[in-house]
Amino acid sequence: MVQITERVPQPLADETLRGMFEARKRVFVDLLKWDVPVLEGRFELDQFDDEHAVYLVVRGSSGEHLASARLLETERPHILDTLFPDLCAVAVPRGPAVREITRFCLDRRLSAARRLAVRNMLVSALVDHALAQGITVYTGVAEFGWLQQILAFGWRCRPLGLPTVRDRRTLGALRIEISAETPALMTRTGVYTTAGEADSIREAA
Amino acid sequence: MEAPRPAAVAMFDRIDAFVREIGETETEAALAELLTEICREMGFAYFALTHHVDLRRALGPNIRLANYPAEWIDFFDDNGLGPSDPVHRASQLTSVGFAWSRLPRLIALTPRDREVLALAGLRGIGDGFTVPAHVPGEANGSCSFATAGRTALNPDHLPQAQLVGAFAFEAARRLWHMRNPGLAPRPQLTDRQRDCVVWVARGKSDWEIARILDLSPETVAEYLKRARERYGVSKRTMLTIHALFDGAISFSDVLKH
Repeated sequence: MVQITERVPQPLADETLRGMFEARKRVFVDLLKWDVPVLEGRFELDQFDDEHAVYLVVRGSSGEHLASARLLETERPHILDTLFPDLCAVAVPRGPAVREITRFCLDRRLSAARRLAVRNMLVSALVDHALAQGITVYTGVAEFGWLQQILAFGWRCRPLGLPTVRDRRTLGALRIEISAETPALMTRTGVYTTAGEADSIREAA
Repeated sequence: MEAPRPAAVAMFDRIDAFVREIGETETEAALAELLTEICREMGFAYFALTHHVDLRRALGPNIRLANYPAEWIDFFDDNGLGPSDPVHRASQLTSVGFAWSRLPRLIALTPRDREVLALAGLRGIGDGFTVPAHVPGEANGSCSFATAGRTALNPDHLPQAQLVGAFAFEAARRLWHMRNPGLAPRPQLTDRQRDCVVWVARGKSDWEIARILDLSPETVAEYLKRARERYGVSKRTMLTIHALFDGAISFSDVLKH
């Protein structure tokens, strides 16, 4: 099941989000060694985890965190304009129909095969959410290996600038365009799954 | 913050236009033409965009687009260099572009590798830059750019090449999907078969796997037989290699604990 949580005044008080913050700590701090703040030694939370953030969380049958992503409004301070403006050769995309995807997180405990299925559910939920909310552009910052995978989902992407090396990681910024044709483009790559299919995958997993 | 330099902006505008153009291409020939053009503007003579498989032995259709000298492509295929090419091997180990001069720091070069690199040089291929492209569940690939003769790489062009390579590989993949609908490689094993294959990869016998997974040895044998059938192979080693190759199991599944 994909749960969309928004405008939570205290994200850390929410049970689903607590599971997500723990999973984020395991992925971004323990595995990827990002230099980001950790609360109480177990939750990865930063200044953007506030009441303006929207979270998409894929949960397993007993409610456990499987995958999640955080959406930030681009008219407020966000990752691209605050931390990585040098990744944009053009103006940082902003507007009511533009959201930044951040902290795309797949739980470390997932096996390879299940990981892809869960990833597809989360990416599909991002597309459905955009279409339902009138979001036409997602932006995002990614390391290059991950950026190649984002391109491979099949949605229309454009670069926002030339790649830059930061802390020995090669980073790039992307603009992802969402329209009514996006689900069809991503069905071709096998990434897009409808909500009904996603639930049956989750049950079987 | 420092304002972006106009030269960098012009470079980026060119790539942005390239990305839009390749997004509209319908044929591999059109994509190759656009690549040839931007390749030259970045100071390279050649490009090769490919999946790292031995193309003459591969079962399924694979991606390859290149304008290397024909003589070199034939030599490459005659010697089955797809999966063993030192550049391709090095690109499995990283997710960002690398200059070929860094090869000895990325992999241990064998005498055979040095010979391949020297032969490429003799056939007019100079220095190069390779952008790896790893998509889970699919063969690894890359997009390489090479200079002609003794021309050195221009470091200013490498961030551009990184971006061009990443987007070009995806454009080729899109064309490939259009040409081969429904062929998207997907995990082919059931969860139980997969569990058994992970233990096979760790060197366990059917009896041991049965004890570990609390199944009967006959059931384990049956799961593994079905799994081998799905890949059309008869040996356990080939089964694990296929499962690793298409992402049904991962190295970390096998190596953890």
